Amino acid sequence: MNSSRHLPRRSVLKGLGATLALPFLDAMVPAFARAAQVRAASPTRMAFVYVPNGIVMDEWAVPGLDGTFPLPTDFPRILQPAAAYRDQFSILSGLMQDGGRAHGDGPGDHARAGASYLTSAHPKETAGADIQAGVSVDQVAAQHIGHHTRFPSLELGCEEGLYGGNCDGRYSCAYSNTISWRTPSAPMPQETSPRAVFERMFGGTDLDPDPARRARRATYNQSVLDLVLEQAKTLQGSLGATDRRKLDEYLFSVRDIEKRIVKAEQDADVAPPDLTRPRPGVPQSFIAHAQLMFDLMTVAFQTDMTRVITFMIALELGNKVYEEAGVSEAHHGLTHHRGDAGKIEKITRINRFHVEQFTHLLERLSTTNDGDGTLLDHSMVVYGAGISDGNRHHHHDLPTLLAGRAGGRITQGRHTSYPAETPMANLFVTMLDHMGVEVETLGDSTGRVTL
Amino acid sequence: MEERNSPATLLAGMRLTLLIAAGLWLSAGLSNQASAQGEPPDAAFAEHVGPLLADYCVSCHNDALLTADLSFEPFLAGDGLLENAELWQRVAERLQAGQMPPRGRPQPADDAKAQVAAWANRFSDGTAASDEPNPGRVTARRLNRTEYNNTVRSLLGVHGRPADEFPADDSGYGFDNNGDVLSVSPLLMEKLITAAQQISRDAVFGPTLPDEPFQLAHYMARRSHDADGSLDSADTLPYSMRGALYGSHLFPWTAEYELRFRVANYRQRAPRPEGAPRRPRDAPPIPPGDFLEEMRLAAPPVPVVATLDGQVFDRAIIEGVNAFGYERGEFVTRLAVEAGEHDFRVSYPHIADIVDPRENMLPDGRRVMYIDYLDIIGPFAASPAPPASYDEIFICRHEPGGHNESCAGDIVTNLARRAYRRPVDAHEVGQLTGLIAQAQEAGDSFEEGVRVAVQAVLLSPHFLFRIERDPVTLSNDDAHLLTDHELASRLSYFLWADMPDEELFRLADAGRLGRPQVLDAQVRRMLADPRSTALVDTFAEQWLQLRNLDRTKPDPTLFPAVDDELRAAMRRETDLFLGAVIREDRSLLDLIDAPFTFLNGPLAHHYGITGVTGEAFQRVPLDGTQRSGLLTQASILTVSSYPTRTSPVLRGKWVLQNLLGAPPPDPPAGIPPLDEAAVGTSVSLRTQLEAHRANASCAVCHDQIDPMGFGLERYDATGGWRTHDGPFEIDDSGTLPDGTTFRGSLELKGILRSESDAFTQNLAEKLLTYALGRGLESYDTTAIDTIVQRVADADHRFSSLVLWVVDSQPFRMRRPE
Repeated sequence: MNSSRHLPRRSVLKGLGATLALPFLDAMVPAFARAAQVRAASPTRMAFVYVPNGIVMDEWAVPGLDGTFPLPTDFPRILQPAAAYRDQFSILSGLMQDGGRAHGDGPGDHARAGASYLTSAHPKETAGADIQAGVSVDQVAAQHIGHHTRFPSLELGCEEGLYGGNCDGRYSCAYSNTISWRTPSAPMPQETSPRAVFERMFGGTDLDPDPARRARRATYNQSVLDLVLEQAKTLQGSLGATDRRKLDEYLFSVRDIEKRIVKAEQDADVAPPDLTRPRPGVPQSFIAHAQLMFDLMTVAFQTDMTRVITFMIALELGNKVYEEAGVSEAHHGLTHHRGDAGKIEKITRINRFHVEQFTHLLERLSTTNDGDGTLLDHSMVVYGAGISDGNRHHHHDLPTLLAGRAGGRITQGRHTSYPAETPMANLFVTMLDHMGVEVETLGDSTGRVTL
Repeated sequence: MEERNSPATLLAGMRLTLLIAAGLWLSAGLSNQASAQGEPPDAAFAEHVGPLLADYCVSCHNDALLTADLSFEPFLAGDGLLENAELWQRVAERLQAGQMPPRGRPQPADDAKAQVAAWANRFSDGTAASDEPNPGRVTARRLNRTEYNNTVRSLLGVHGRPADEFPADDSGYGFDNNGDVLSVSPLLMEKLITAAQQISRDAVFGPTLPDEPFQLAHYMARRSHDADGSLDSADTLPYSMRGALYGSHLFPWTAEYELRFRVANYRQRAPRPEGAPRRPRDAPPIPPGDFLEEMRLAAPPVPVVATLDGQVFDRAIIEGVNAFGYERGEFVTRLAVEAGEHDFRVSYPHIADIVDPRENMLPDGRRVMYIDYLDIIGPFAASPAPPASYDEIFICRHEPGGHNESCAGDIVTNLARRAYRRPVDAHEVGQLTGLIAQAQEAGDSFEEGVRVAVQAVLLSPHFLFRIERDPVTLSNDDAHLLTDHELASRLSYFLWADMPDEELFRLADAGRLGRPQVLDAQVRRMLADPRSTALVDTFAEQWLQLRNLDRTKPDPTLFPAVDDELRAAMRRETDLFLGAVIREDRSLLDLIDAPFTFLNGPLAHHYGITGVTGEAFQRVPLDGTQRSGLLTQASILTVSSYPTRTSPVLRGKWVLQNLLGAPPPDPPAGIPPLDEAAVGTSVSLRTQLEAHRANASCAVCHDQIDPMGFGLERYDATGGWRTHDGPFEIDDSGTLPDGTTFRGSLELKGILRSESDAFTQNLAEKLLTYALGRGLESYDTTAIDTIVQRVADADHRFSSLVLWVVDSQPFRMRRPE
């Protein structure tokens, strides 16, 4: 009988709880110094932070003439909380997502906005099994450079997927539950529990103090995965086409994990750092939840667990009540304001509230050392929405903020207005260039943009 | 073909949204159906349908105008009829409902409309009947979260709910068990692997015992004002204005545990009455004993009660005012508890009988009396014996360390056949015994080897997916019966959301499960089994969209007496009601208006119903005037409202979609919004919504949707009864498009009850969708029609619905791809 009697993690780690930010990780860096030393220059990271239901464009940024100008000294209300970081981000105007438009399909702008935002593809209108969008830019990056890190990418969110068949018009809920798509028919689910994210990054380590036993268990784990892979391949041979495709998802996932296990084992000989572990579940306070997730994003980049992260502050069509912003009506309901000043005021408050939370990420990234510069210096972080005017469901002139210098390749502190109808995908392929990922096109891209 | 009152709702249209329930408000005229019989479809078209289209429809629906993207011109010559069966159904339905031609345009005579309907029915039935029997096929379904949790518990006896950590399951066609939609992502696989490691360890060895007992949980209610910063270190529970602390805890070991709770008592002394003399300042100080006595007498003694799984484990009397009880400290009880999940509750029971829970609130937002926290410390005196799950796995019954050679084969065979839900062959057994051997060769124990085998089984595609095979000898079009084992899985996951039990396996092994009497008896047995609560917890909650109740937050300024506990009570009422309908095998139609429900004191107060007291739920007879059936239960009324007000449109849509199977389409873009500020102040909500009627193109849909919502207007956004909305008296009358009028929810329910076929058909469709794990297609129409007819013949008993679903072609058979 296995007699390992280590103390449960609970009494080892301190559980100071969800509202406490993760402490700054200098204490942790030594544990992962090995991985860090291998890197020659700091790699470029990429993150997308998404807000749903559009933004009150008048209070976001005033587009100028086509071209590039310095950011104004006075920010409109929604952007105002980010003013302190004005020399580390730029506003990009004039980008559009054609995939979000109806093109003859029925109502469902929210589903389309979410599904097209990072894929620049027009999703198929269906509530059933045959969902189809495109491959999202974060997954393109993950497929190319993901093998360098333990997680090819992380998909995070603050809101769990909605139940029910259709979420918007005749579109499946799968379209609005995530913005990240591994293949045109495989949406990537989000992790919404901070504790679960923490566990994925730090909790998977076998806590058995006996290294020999740990090693044996690692061998067994490998044998188990080999066995189930073999079972799945044999099984596939006797199934029809649709079932085979289901098993393909299974096979892909198992193989993906096998690769990651190898990676994790390279870091496995160190004891898990003495970090505060978030409590189970999701914090009551939205502010606490969002900030905790941003802390985890920072940690993930800093420890090079991944270089690609997407984060949805809320789901498309999200109907959350943001009490902490002083608004007691649900979000989406408000956005169809049709000119009502009271509603517009409340939406503006919500939009600004979201930006306030985002500045927490800017703050962490810009104060985290990353070799020769800060994390933010070496990243590209996009904050934006797939809908501009939430009342009219516009998919052009999308509000887009790009923070970080991508290792010096991007100049910040500017407002660039692109010619009308510039595809968002052009921004994405440019960003991929900066990651060292060479693709010709993505979605409906027609070229690059200057940043 | 049987004479029935309603044309079948076209099932392919489940994916389109139909404008109206099939034949909902039929006018007379179906006797004309007979005259269309026997004529070839084209001839009937030329005689009845074509002329009607030409006279009444083509003026808008032509190639030039293409109104609503539809032109009838290409069909007038009789071409292309066959390919558009769905279109003709829709045409017939809109004609019969009086929606088309729109009001104000010339209308065809009723019998002409009936001819079109008859033709459309014959026509589409003709196309359906010409096909081979088509039971469809279901894609290999992976276990969803609920099924995974239940299956692991049944398979291994391991408690806890590991799948709660998995990403949320995607839904299709309204349910989260749809094979096509459920996918496997790398994130999910990661969680499955972690879970498999954890579960296998717990199952074989039990959760690792700590060296010393420690604090397993520190439970507090969220938003506890008194908590200061300590809420950060607490495991939070729902908030109860009445001060209760309740939840459920997973006890990892069979052992003794200490449950420690502290109560808060902030009752104040009654203020000195007006005119009463003050104590003179120079009077001698009150002796401490007398002072305490004065405090103690100043408020009546009340009980505080603590229960685990409904059994009282501690009870005390709390006397006196402010801090007198608080200084008492913790109430500590040491209990022997079996490993597993257990419900606990600590509360002041008398508070349940206060009508308005705000009486238990102080002006600063603190509750007057409440349970501060509950700590669970343990384990004490834990048994060193292997966990209960050990015996599930080590069926050879040897002591640890005493296993012999044949054990491996026996254990693995038993494990695999139950996990894969079918007999296993020597090769499959060998794969798993190979893992045991590998562990033993590496120097680990036999038990560790078995643990690895359990881990492998939990990750196997044979476990995670419900696979249904097509015999290789068949040609592509031959439908065939499922094997008995496949049938057993379908049955158990349908009725229990769990794996088959030994009796089902036994019958499947013997090849007897498919026999009609056996199958019938098994269904009845399974319905009577406690596991059939899955029909309420998973099927009904999704059907009625009750999972949204967690997300619905009534505005606290407008509905200050609605807290987490009341919302939980609302849900419990509906769950208990549904459970009673199923358990008592009542008619389906009782769901609409059965004159009883289940209430506890607080919920009864919310409804304004007197005579129901206490925290516990009890069955309550209703006279039906205000409340009866599902439709006037708070859970449903709340889920179909906004946080700040009711919405007749949302409620009408809820009824159409969930009870009648006719979801209205989404509104077009660009409609002006409701003037929220004016609602209930300058103008009543109803008056505002009349704008829907004024505009003919809005009226097409809203004449259907709004009246149902109006009929429910006397129930506010949290289901409470009201007679006024602001200063306006509520008008809860409604007129349906066919002219039927009603006033109030009772008459509305009467109308719904009279639509028994539409109601039954909708429920049959939903149930079959859930049972199969796929959306329904046009070839399922015959199966649904049969079910509806048989259920009606059986007085609509719930068990008859389940039996006929199980006995249907799509459930018993499948078609190869």
